[in-house]
Amino acid sequence: MRNLLVVLAAVVGVVVPGTAAAQAKLVAWHSYRGGEKSAFEKVVAAYNARPDTKIKVDPLAVPFDAFADKISAAVPRGKGPDIFIYAQDRMGGWVEAGNTVEPIDFYVDDALKGRFIPTTVEALTYRGNLYGLPLDYKVIALIHNKKLLKTPPKTTGELVKVAQGLTSKGAGKFGLAWSYGDFYYVASLLNGFGGGVFDKSTRPTMNAPENVKALELLVKWEKAGFMPAEPSSALITSLFNEEKAPMVFSGPWFLGEVASGIDYGVAPLPTIDEAGGKPMRPWMTVEGVFVSAQSQHKDAAFEFAKYVTGAEAGKVMALEGRQSPALKAVYDDPKVQADPVLSAFRKQVEVAVPMPNVAEMTMMWSPATTALNKVNAGNSPKEAMDVAQKALQKDVDALRKKK
Amino acid sequence: MNERPPASRTRFGVGLLLGLVVALGGGWALLRGARAQLEDDWITRRAIVAANALGALVGQAPDDAAVRKAVTAWQETHPPGTRVRVIRGTTLEASTEPADTGEKAAPRRLAREEKPLYDQAQRLRAGVDTNREGGAPKPELEVEREGGARRVAVPLEADGKVTGMVHVLVPADASTGRRSPLQAVLLLFGAMLLYVLGAWLLPPRAALLAVASTALFCLAAAFFVGGELRALGLAERDGQRALAGTVAAEVDRTRTLTGAATLDGGAWDTDLTRKPRGLITGAGAIDREKGEAEAQEIRRRALRSLMALGALGFVLLVVVGFGGANRVGRALVSNRQAYAYIAPAIIGTTLLVFFPFFYGIALSFTDSNIYNTNLPLSELWVGLRNYGTILGDFGVVRRAADGHWVFNYLNFYWTFLFTVIWTITNVVWGVSFGLLLALVLNTKGLALRPIYRVLLILPWAMPNYITALIWKGMFHRQFGVVNQVLAIFGFEPLSWFDRPFTSFLTALATNGWLSFPFMMVVSLGALQSIPADLYEAARVDGASRWQQFRAITLPSLKPALVPAVILSVVWTFNMFNIIYLVTAGEPGGSTEILITQAYKYAFQRYQYGYAAAYATIIFAILLVYGTIQNRVTRATEAL
Repeated sequence: MRNLLVVLAAVVGVVVPGTAAAQAKLVAWHSYRGGEKSAFEKVVAAYNARPDTKIKVDPLAVPFDAFADKISAAVPRGKGPDIFIYAQDRMGGWVEAGNTVEPIDFYVDDALKGRFIPTTVEALTYRGNLYGLPLDYKVIALIHNKKLLKTPPKTTGELVKVAQGLTSKGAGKFGLAWSYGDFYYVASLLNGFGGGVFDKSTRPTMNAPENVKALELLVKWEKAGFMPAEPSSALITSLFNEEKAPMVFSGPWFLGEVASGIDYGVAPLPTIDEAGGKPMRPWMTVEGVFVSAQSQHKDAAFEFAKYVTGAEAGKVMALEGRQSPALKAVYDDPKVQADPVLSAFRKQVEVAVPMPNVAEMTMMWSPATTALNKVNAGNSPKEAMDVAQKALQKDVDALRKKK
Repeated sequence: MNERPPASRTRFGVGLLLGLVVALGGGWALLRGARAQLEDDWITRRAIVAANALGALVGQAPDDAAVRKAVTAWQETHPPGTRVRVIRGTTLEASTEPADTGEKAAPRRLAREEKPLYDQAQRLRAGVDTNREGGAPKPELEVEREGGARRVAVPLEADGKVTGMVHVLVPADASTGRRSPLQAVLLLFGAMLLYVLGAWLLPPRAALLAVASTALFCLAAAFFVGGELRALGLAERDGQRALAGTVAAEVDRTRTLTGAATLDGGAWDTDLTRKPRGLITGAGAIDREKGEAEAQEIRRRALRSLMALGALGFVLLVVVGFGGANRVGRALVSNRQAYAYIAPAIIGTTLLVFFPFFYGIALSFTDSNIYNTNLPLSELWVGLRNYGTILGDFGVVRRAADGHWVFNYLNFYWTFLFTVIWTITNVVWGVSFGLLLALVLNTKGLALRPIYRVLLILPWAMPNYITALIWKGMFHRQFGVVNQVLAIFGFEPLSWFDRPFTSFLTALATNGWLSFPFMMVVSLGALQSIPADLYEAARVDGASRWQQFRAITLPSLKPALVPAVILSVVWTFNMFNIIYLVTAGEPGGSTEILITQAYKYAFQRYQYGYAAAYATIIFAILLVYGTIQNRVTRATEAL
C-alpha cells in the first residue's frame, strides 16, 4: 500500500509540473534531413528569438515516406501539427478530403503574392484559392562534367551531336544519361512541345499530338544510341561518377550523390529544335508551408509561414540548406548570385511548369508509366498514349459520375 | 403436460403485443418525425427562395452605392429579424447587421475574425466554377440552421463571374401548433394496462380481455397512424402553398424595387447546386403535376417505412411467439457469468470488426469517391451497379491490330485467375517443401537439430516488409544478386519485372521463401505425435519407406495439415505485402492480386464504393472456399 502511494505521488509529481509548464506552441512538421534540417532549425530558432514572436514554434522532423499519409490521417482529427511543409502534389487530394489545409487567401494580398516567383504561387493554388506559401522549388536541369564537356549544348540539335561524339558503347560511355523511363523526367519533353497530362478543367490530354511528337523525339534519341539502356537512378549516378557520362538531366537531389572530385556545372535544359526552338519545360515541385485547418492558432501559424518564406530565412535556406527558395528577393543577394548552382536552377525555373496538384494526379502515374515503358520497348507512341488516355479518362469519369 | 398450451398462448400474446407496439407505435413516431422534418425542409426552401431573390437583386445593382441602397430597401420590405451582408472579395460591401454601424459600418475590409465568411465566399465560387466545368457536383449555396431561422449564403455574380457572396439571415416565422402527443400515449397505455390487469385479475376471462384490449389497441393506433399520415400529406400541401406564396411575394417586392417587368420567380426555388426544382412557375403558381408528384413521393416513402416496420413487427411476433426470445433469455440468465466475461470481447469485436465490416458492405452499394464524402450514403446509393461492373466485364483479352493478343490486366477475371494460380502454386510449394524439411528434421539422431530449426524459422520470424524489399533488390536487373549468379553460369541477365511470367516468378520466390517455415513447424509438430510403434509394425510387415509414408505419415498429418492449408490459402489469397512490395503489379498491372487491385482502386483512383465492392467479393470468394473446404474435410474425416 505504501509503495502504491509512493508511485502515485511520483507520477503526480511529474505530470502536474509538466502540464503547468505547457503553454501555447506551434508544432511544425517537416521531412528534412542533414543540411536542410539544420538550416531549417536555425531559421526556427531565429524566429523564436524575435521579440515580436507571440507563440514559439517547435519543429519536428517526420520521415518523408509516411509524411503525407500521416497528415491525411492526423490533421482532420485535430491531432496533427499547426504547420507542415510538403510538396504540392498531394494538395488537391487534401483539399477535396477537407479539414486538412486552410485556405490563406484572406491573409495574402497582391503585394505578398508578388514577392514570389509566379509559377510557384500557381503551383499552390487549387481552384482559384491559395493554400500555402511557396518555400522552395525543385526542377531538373542539365548537369554536366566540366572536365569532359566545357560548354553545355543549348539546343537539342547540338545535344545530339555532342552526345554522339562522346559516346563509345564498347567502353560503356554514353553521351547523355537520364531517367527516360520515369514519366516525371520525360514530362519535360512533353511540356516543351506544348502537351501535358491534364488541361485547365482537369480533363486528361494524354494522347494530344504534342505528346506524341515529344515521344517520337525520345524514340529518335534512343535509336541514336547515346543513352544507356534501362536507365535506373543508380546506374545514372554511377555513370556520372565514373566519368562515363558527361551529361545528366536531373535535379538538386542528384548533386548530393555526385562524387567529390568531379567538377560539375549546372545549366538550363536545351531548347527543342523540333518544336521550333521552344525550351524543354520540366515539372516543378514546389514545397509549400501549409497551415492546418484544425490549428488553434491559425494567425500565428501564418505569421511563421510568412517569416520562413521571407528574405532572411530564404538566405539561410539557400546558402546553408542548399535549397532554391521561391522568393524572388533572395536571388538579389550577392552571395546567392555568386553561387552557380542556385543561379542555374533560378534560370531553369523561369520555363518550368508547376506539376498539377489535382487529386487525379495519383491515377495518372500508372497508365503514363505503362505507356512510356511500351514506347521505350519499341511500340508506337500514338497507340501507347491512346491506351493511356482511355484508361485515365475512365478513372477520371468514374469520379465525376453524377450517379 | 398441461403447462404447454397456456405458456405458448402467453408467448404469442406477448409477441403480438410487442409486434403491434413496434409496428404501430413505431410507425406513428416515425410519421411524426417525418412531418417535423418536412416542415423544417419547407422553411429551408422558403429561405432559399428569399436568398436567391436577394442575390438576383444585388447582382443587378450597377455599383456599390446601388448595392447598399438595394440592401436597405430589402431590409425594409422584410420582417425585422432579417439580416443581410454582402461581401465582395475581402470587403464587406453592405450590411444590415446592427453591429456593423459607426466605425464598423460597411464598406470596410473584413476583420480577421470574419475569415470564415471570406472562406465561405471562396467555397461558393469554387463550387460554381466546378459545376460550370462539369466536374463532380458541388454545392453552390450553403444553409445553416439556427432554430427556426436560416442563414443562407448565395454567390454574387456580375457579368457571369462570381465576385462575392450575399449572406442572409431569414428569421423564424410563427411556429405551427403541435398536437400534443399526450392523448395518443394515454390511449395506447390504457389499452396495454387493461390487458395486463385483466390477465392478472380475471384469469378465466383473460382470453376475452386480451382480444378486447388488443382490438382497442389496434383501433387506437390505426386512428393515430392514419391521422399522422393525413397530417403528413396536409403538411406537404401547406408547404407547397406557402412556398408559392413566398415566391409571389418576393417577385412582387423585387419588381417594386427594380421595376423589372418580368421575373422568373420559379427559378429561385432551387436545390443546393442552384438547379431549379421546377415546382413553382414563373408567376408564382404551383405546377400541378410537379406538386402532385412530390406529394405522391412523400406518401410513397412514408408507406414504405410503415410496411418495413410492419414486417419488423411480424418478425418479432414470430420470434417471440415461437419461443426464440424465451430461449435466448433463458440462456443468458443461466450463463450470466460466462456472458459477463465475454461481454468486453463482444463489444470490442462489434466495434472493431463487425461495424467496419458491415459499413464496408453498405459502402459497396454506393458510388462513394473522394469528391462526395460529405454526402450521406443514402444519396449515393447505386444498388448493385458496382458489382455489375466488376463481375459483368468479361473483356479479358482481345486481338490487336497486328494480330497479337492484348490482355486487359485491370479485368476482374484476369486478376482472379492470377490470384488463384498464385495461391495454388504457393500453397503447393509451401506444403511440399515444409513437409520435406520437417521429415528431414525429424530424422532420429540428427546433429545440431536446434540450430537448423532456428535457421529455418528465420524467414517467417523476420518482418516480411523488410525481406520483401530485400528480395526486390535482389531481382534488380543491373545490381541484383540473382542476375549476377545467372551471369556466372553464363546466362543472359533477365529484366525480371518486364514480363508477366518472370515478374510472377520473383513474387513466387519471395513468398516461397517466406511461407515454408510455417508449414514446416506444423508438420514437425504433427510428425512428432505419430507413435513410433506404428512404423515398427509396418517395417515388420515388410512395408517400404514410401508405403510407410503413404499409409501412416500422411493420414496422421491430415488433421494438422488441413487447417494449416486453409489458413495458408486465405493468407496467400490476401498476401498484399509481397505483391505490393516486390512486383507492385508490374508490368502494367499484370501481376496484381485481388486485394492489391482493390487497394489501388481505393487509394490511387479514389473510388471508395467500387473498392468496397471488390473487397466484399473477395470475402464472398473466401467464404465459399472455406465452407466447401470444411465440408470436404469433415466428409473425409468420417471415413
